[in-house]
Amino acid sequence: METPVDINARNTASQQPAAQPQTAEAIINQPVKQLHLPGQLPGQKPTPEQQNRKPILEIKHITKRFETFTAVNDVDLTLYQGEIFALLGSSGCGKSTLLRMLAGFETPTSGSILLDGKELIGVPPYKRPVNMMFQSYALFPYMTVKQNIAFGLKQSKLPKAQIEDRVDKMLRLVHMEEYVDRKPFQLSGGQRQRVALARSLAKEPRVLLLDEPMGALDKKLREQMRLELVDIINSVGVTCLMVTHDQEEAMTMADRIAIMEKGEFLQIGGPREIYENPNCRFCAEFIGSVNIFDCHLISSNATQSLIACGDFKNPIELTHDIDLADGMPLTIALRPEKIYISHLTPQEETNWCEGVVENIAYLGDISIYYVRLTDGRIVSATLPNVDRFKEGLPTWDDHVYLSWDPESCIALTF
Amino acid sequence: MSTGFSANMTFIRRAFQPRSRQALAPQQHQNTWRDYALIFLPYVWMIIFFLLPFLIIFKISLSVTEIAIPPYSPLVTFEEGAMQIILHLENYTNIFTDPDGTYIRSYLKSLQVAAFSTLFCLIIGYPIAWALASSKPAMRNVLFMLVIMPSWTSFVVRIYAWMTLMKRDGLINDILMVLGIIDEPIQMLQTDFAVYVGIVYCYLPYMVLPLFSALMKVDYSLIEAAYDLGCRPVKTFFSTLVPQTKSGIVAGSMLVFIPALGEYVIPELLGGKSSILIGRILWQEFFNNRDWPLASAVAITMLVILVIPIMIFYKMERREQEKLNAGK
Repeated sequence: METPVDINARNTASQQPAAQPQTAEAIINQPVKQLHLPGQLPGQKPTPEQQNRKPILEIKHITKRFETFTAVNDVDLTLYQGEIFALLGSSGCGKSTLLRMLAGFETPTSGSILLDGKELIGVPPYKRPVNMMFQSYALFPYMTVKQNIAFGLKQSKLPKAQIEDRVDKMLRLVHMEEYVDRKPFQLSGGQRQRVALARSLAKEPRVLLLDEPMGALDKKLREQMRLELVDIINSVGVTCLMVTHDQEEAMTMADRIAIMEKGEFLQIGGPREIYENPNCRFCAEFIGSVNIFDCHLISSNATQSLIACGDFKNPIELTHDIDLADGMPLTIALRPEKIYISHLTPQEETNWCEGVVENIAYLGDISIYYVRLTDGRIVSATLPNVDRFKEGLPTWDDHVYLSWDPESCIALTF
Repeated sequence: MSTGFSANMTFIRRAFQPRSRQALAPQQHQNTWRDYALIFLPYVWMIIFFLLPFLIIFKISLSVTEIAIPPYSPLVTFEEGAMQIILHLENYTNIFTDPDGTYIRSYLKSLQVAAFSTLFCLIIGYPIAWALASSKPAMRNVLFMLVIMPSWTSFVVRIYAWMTLMKRDGLINDILMVLGIIDEPIQMLQTDFAVYVGIVYCYLPYMVLPLFSALMKVDYSLIEAAYDLGCRPVKTFFSTLVPQTKSGIVAGSMLVFIPALGEYVIPELLGGKSSILIGRILWQEFFNNRDWPLASAVAITMLVILVIPIMIFYKMERREQEKLNAGK
């Protein structure tokens, strides 16, 4: 396991090639094969470093130990002005603890947190220029929408007229002007979220902390609110750190994502990077679904690597070299949507296998085919249901061939 | 004290109800005869043991003393075929026009003692309830026992224990003397101080338990939200914890204030001759002066003094609730 510092550094390094000017035409005209090469991911926002943004929040070697376990273990993170950053991980991975340390509700065991270059540790929560939107929103039930939004402003003893102004502005921002005198229990889930957002933005925090922002909403509303929330946050221009266990939420809302596990960052990158270029098996399996093959390396040179995988008749071929000695074990990750299913035997000598369709999960927009390979392993592959009535799609117990492009496979060495 | 019983129960019920359920609209439910049968029993109980005695006392308060058995004039008399109903109101006017102002003074004194005792119970009980609510479950049981167990010993025994503790050569004076804090014993018994100690000691559990139940339902993220929005600790307490535990504060205060107002044993045993509370007045009128009508009038007046503020408070609460429901 590398330390988070190294991961950070490597990500920065791996993105340097993407800094070359890329016009839309250039991207479209690129040969398909190059699209999936590491470090050259089209459709990905430039990293904050590339935009010459200023660092606003620097977390350095933060560790939090509770009595029996370490919740956050020597974590480093830099947030840049105006970005939305997501801490993504399963429950108990330490993401909430990290957020609570930023808000001031937990004290780190060691490390430092710099906001605009000033140390935050030791500053009580009520003096920190950060505000949090709580998972359950934590709206004051005995106060109206207006009083809730004004609460933070009143604490800083602003003149009354100024508070009124600011509250009105916030109400307009979240489109809640009509509901000023309602109490929280008279609002729907989505409206409560807007009020909570307005309340946490009212004091113009340097960093906005979002704790599972969609956690209290139902699925339909969640999808709708994601982009709306991003719009509001972007229109204010506030730097935002969110915590979520929902990968879709992180991918749609965040500019950058850190995948967290057991108190450490495994990978930090843009949504597309962490999906297409996971740097470890955990990250590959955590984001989306993936087929994992335990393989070993046959040979590798600058343009081609050949990998043997179980009972596959044909080797797996990659178009780049792998820094491993021949014969060493490695893991190949392959996303289900990158696999082609066919009844016909592929003509290539590499990158295909065969099996029998054991199960089909029809999800409406796509179908997932679970294919049992000749060696007994199950591989999942997805097909979009483009046509309403399509003949010739594989069905149960069909003998099918699965093939993929050399760029689709991700070689993972740990 | 049966006077505040029904009001008390309402507050207790409200205190022990989860918040969310209060906010829900009442369910549509068709009452069947079974439901009425179930309600019927408590109604009968209340009529026999509360309403009837109250009416009897009220009736007595409208008569005058007579040397007879019972020692008061009948309300309704038949003389030569004429039915006479005589309502004597002088008992009530006497209370307020007494030249020494004995009754008024004892009412005020009782109100003062009850109010301060309630306040002290609240100030002492809140941290105890907080400790209970925030302790780990295993520890909580132990703490609970410590709060409740004293109530298992006889009330009078506990008061006598305080008498021996606070007397001139009692334990407290001895310790203070040995420590050199005082040179000669302090007079503690027969003072208001002793009365407060006794009342607060005896009624503290009734404050702690509703407060504890309210604190268990507190949404702690609201405290964090207040902190997060720049609210300092003391202000956070008053702006988040107090509103959230309002039901517990009200229920606990009622449970302490109402019995403390009519308290007889504690002031009698610990208090001085100067502190004449309403309980002693009642005792004197009933048993020393055998003036049952006046004693009844004193009791009824006290009930009115108690019930009116409770009713006003309850009405305000209801109006607030209705306003909320109307906005839905």
